[in-house]
Amino acid sequence: MNRSLKEKLEATFSDIKVAAPEDDRMVITTRKDAVLSVLNFLKTGGYQHLGLVSCVDWIEDNEFELVYILSAYLQDNYEYSIKEKTNIILKTRISRENPQFMTIIPVFANAEPYERELHELFGIHFEGHPRQIPLLLERDYSIPPFRKDFDTREYVKEVFDNIPVVEEKKK
Amino acid sequence: MDRNQIIKWLKAPAKMGHKYSLHAIYFCTGCGIIEVPPVITARWDAERFGVIPVATPRQANLFLITGYVSVKTLKAIIRTYEQMPSPKFTVGFGSCPINGGMYWDSYNTIKRLDKYIPIDGWIAGCMPRPEAIFVAVTHLWTLIDKDMADGYKRYRSNYHLYRANQEQLFGELEWPPLFPLEDQVEQIA
Repeated sequence: MNRSLKEKLEATFSDIKVAAPEDDRMVITTRKDAVLSVLNFLKTGGYQHLGLVSCVDWIEDNEFELVYILSAYLQDNYEYSIKEKTNIILKTRISRENPQFMTIIPVFANAEPYERELHELFGIHFEGHPRQIPLLLERDYSIPPFRKDFDTREYVKEVFDNIPVVEEKKK
Repeated sequence: MDRNQIIKWLKAPAKMGHKYSLHAIYFCTGCGIIEVPPVITARWDAERFGVIPVATPRQANLFLITGYVSVKTLKAIIRTYEQMPSPKFTVGFGSCPINGGMYWDSYNTIKRLDKYIPIDGWIAGCMPRPEAIFVAVTHLWTLIDKDMADGYKRYRSNYHLYRANQEQLFGELEWPPLFPLEDQVEQIA
C-alpha cells in the first residue's frame, strides 16, 4: 500500500477514512462535499485515469453510495511502481430521498457517460451535467430500474407477459 | 448431384434453389454470435451446407437470432426482417429468444421472440454447439421441402397481429406498416 499517500490524505483532509483491504487497493471514504477536492488532490498526485463511476443502492440505510475508481497511467519506463499498481476507490454517500450530486466533469471529463448512465438507471441528478438524456434505455420506467425497490418480476408480468402469442390469438 | 434428388429438382427447382443457397445475415445479438465465426470459417465451414454470411439484409434469406434480444435490439431485428426479400427463414439460436433463458426476469429483455416476428425453427441450448447450426440447417431443408418453413407467409397473413404486439411493446413505431393493415382486418371480419 502507498503509505505516504495515506498520510498525505489524512493530513490534508479532515473527516476522511483511508483503508487498504488489499495491497494494491485503497478505499477512501469521505463526505459528499469533499469529493471534488479529494479527486482534484488525487489527480494532481498522479492518479489521472478515472476508470469507473458506479453506484450502490443501500436501501436499508436510505442512501446511495457513489463509487469512483481511479488509477495511474504507466510511466515512460514501463515498469510498475507501487503507485501504478494501486487502484483508488473513492466512496461517498448521498441521500436516497433527494438524489442530487454535483458533476465531476470539470475534473474528469470522461465521467460524462458514466453520470448519464447513473442518471438513467438510478435516477440520480447530477448538477451541472451538460446533457442528461437517455443513454441505454428505450422505455420509460416508473422507478429507475437499477434501484432495489424496482420489482423486475412484477414488471415482466405487467409488460412482457401481457403481450399475446400470435398463434394462439389467431384461433 | 445426388441422384435421389433429381425428381425433386425437376418438380420444384426454385424450392431446391432456396434450400441450398441460404444467405445468413450477419446480425449480432447477444453472446451467441461468438459461435458464428468458427461456423463460417475453416473449422466448421458452413459453406458445405450452402450457408454464407452476407453484409446486408437485402441480400439475405436466413436470419439467425443469436442470443438474448433487448427491447432496443428488437426494433433493429424487426426492421432488418422486414427488409429481407421473401422467401426468408428465421431461426432462434440459444434459449434466450425461446423463453428469456437466464434473462427470464430481466427488465429490458423480451421473453418470447415469436410474439413479434415469425420464427421457423429453434435451436435450444446455452450455448448450442456450432454443430447445432448444421442440424438446424438440415432440419430447415426438410421444412422447406414440406412447405412448412412459411414464416414469411404467416407474417404477411397475420401482420395486423404482429404489428399490434410490436406497438404494444414500443408504444408508437417510427416506421409505417409493411403491409396495409385495413385490408387484413376486413378479410378476417
